[in-house]
Amino acid sequence: MSLLAQGLRIQGRVIGALMMRELLTRYGRHNIGFLWIMVEPLLFAVLVGIVWEFMWGATKHGLGVMSFVISGYIPMVLFRHSVTRAAGLFQANSGLMYHRQIKILDFVFVRFLIELVGHMIAYLFIAVVLAGLGLFPVPYDLGFMLLGGLYYALFVLAMCCILAPMSEMSEVVEKFLPVVTYLTIPFSGAFTLAEWLTPAARNVTLLFPPVHAMEMMRYGLYGHAMTPYFDYAYPLAVNAALFAIGLLLCRRVRRLLIVE
Amino acid sequence: MITCENIRKTYPLGRRDKQALRGIDFQVARGERVGFLGRNGAGKSTLIRLIGGVELPTAGQIVRRMSVSWPLAFTGGFQGSLTGFDNARFIARIYGREYREIRDFVEDFAELGHYMKMPVKTYSSGMKARLAFGLSLAIDFDCYLIDEVIAVGDHRFQEKCKRELFEKRADRALILASHSAGLIREYCDRAMVLADGYGVMHDQIDSALEAYDRL
Repeated sequence: MSLLAQGLRIQGRVIGALMMRELLTRYGRHNIGFLWIMVEPLLFAVLVGIVWEFMWGATKHGLGVMSFVISGYIPMVLFRHSVTRAAGLFQANSGLMYHRQIKILDFVFVRFLIELVGHMIAYLFIAVVLAGLGLFPVPYDLGFMLLGGLYYALFVLAMCCILAPMSEMSEVVEKFLPVVTYLTIPFSGAFTLAEWLTPAARNVTLLFPPVHAMEMMRYGLYGHAMTPYFDYAYPLAVNAALFAIGLLLCRRVRRLLIVE
Repeated sequence: MITCENIRKTYPLGRRDKQALRGIDFQVARGERVGFLGRNGAGKSTLIRLIGGVELPTAGQIVRRMSVSWPLAFTGGFQGSLTGFDNARFIARIYGREYREIRDFVEDFAELGHYMKMPVKTYSSGMKARLAFGLSLAIDFDCYLIDEVIAVGDHRFQEKCKRELFEKRADRALILASHSAGLIREYCDRAMVLADGYGVMHDQIDSALEAYDRL
């Protein structure tokens, strides 16, 4: 027990220090500093939302286009940014392997956590501002939004645990990553609701854990204006399997990692 | 006590593998000062890095029963884009020490002055060595792993190292990798001569240096 507590305390300390260091090296101490982490997702979501509003009109299937795009885009760019930043992570940080208490999972976790916090702040900021302008609904059930967010975040973290070591093992993975993340958009549930699809197509998209998470978040946002399709256990089971694969790969890469 | 049992390390090298270490066994007790002698590429740095846990052995086991510093070497351990102070803060955090104490000691020991506010990548190798020694002495380990760097310091720094590490902390263990016979003779009680991935431990420095000369 005391050993576990000690281990947790050390990892907590390391993760805190790595967070500070990552924020410092990435954003520096100049101008708005670490607030930059929310600027990119914010611009992305707002600008794309405006473009789609022109293309689709103000509503689609009875839901506000602006809020629909933003609620889909932010989780999706979280996924995209997180896995992009996970690629090549170990080589970039290998100088820190000189300190034994830093484990390679700490790197994955820290980068993911920074992205998560940045995107959450961006989401909150946009939602509050747009709600003030009447362009964003007041959530029907905040609990479902948070639960969906948690499910989504777990999936992104699991994918980071897999892709970070894979990018280290093969350059092909690193090169193809941007295209592949783009091609996963139809399976992310970001721009469609399961209820809009034919039953056959719906069953296919529901094989992917983020679709369940997205349905939860959307239900939390729109409530009875839509019919959600999700399962509680299935995405968790898939995520657990993904985590197991990721941890095995990380372990293998650590053994082979060559530090300058 | 540090115990190394049958340490092997293989690096991928084209289609075949390069066997850097082919089975090394030895122990270092508290307070012992051990040198690693060997020509360039004999595996001294690799062995130091395995003991420090920077890389993991392909086979074999390393058991550390005392606190062991990170390898003090020409590279690694620091974030080049951060300043000396930022690196000190980072290291104080991950080792759970009070930043102010660490900073005061390092400022006094390393004598880097305003360079502490500059990114570490702008440092010369001697300055990096001073920072690394200062930080690791401030954290206070039972065993110090030193890979060559002691040789790059100027006379004043070497004197300081001698005083802080060899006199004030005479009870600490030390593993020093070098191809300089002089350093090994000055600082070590016994030495291992590394060649072709094998290591032979000599309890007398003289016999180790003789074996090294014959390589």
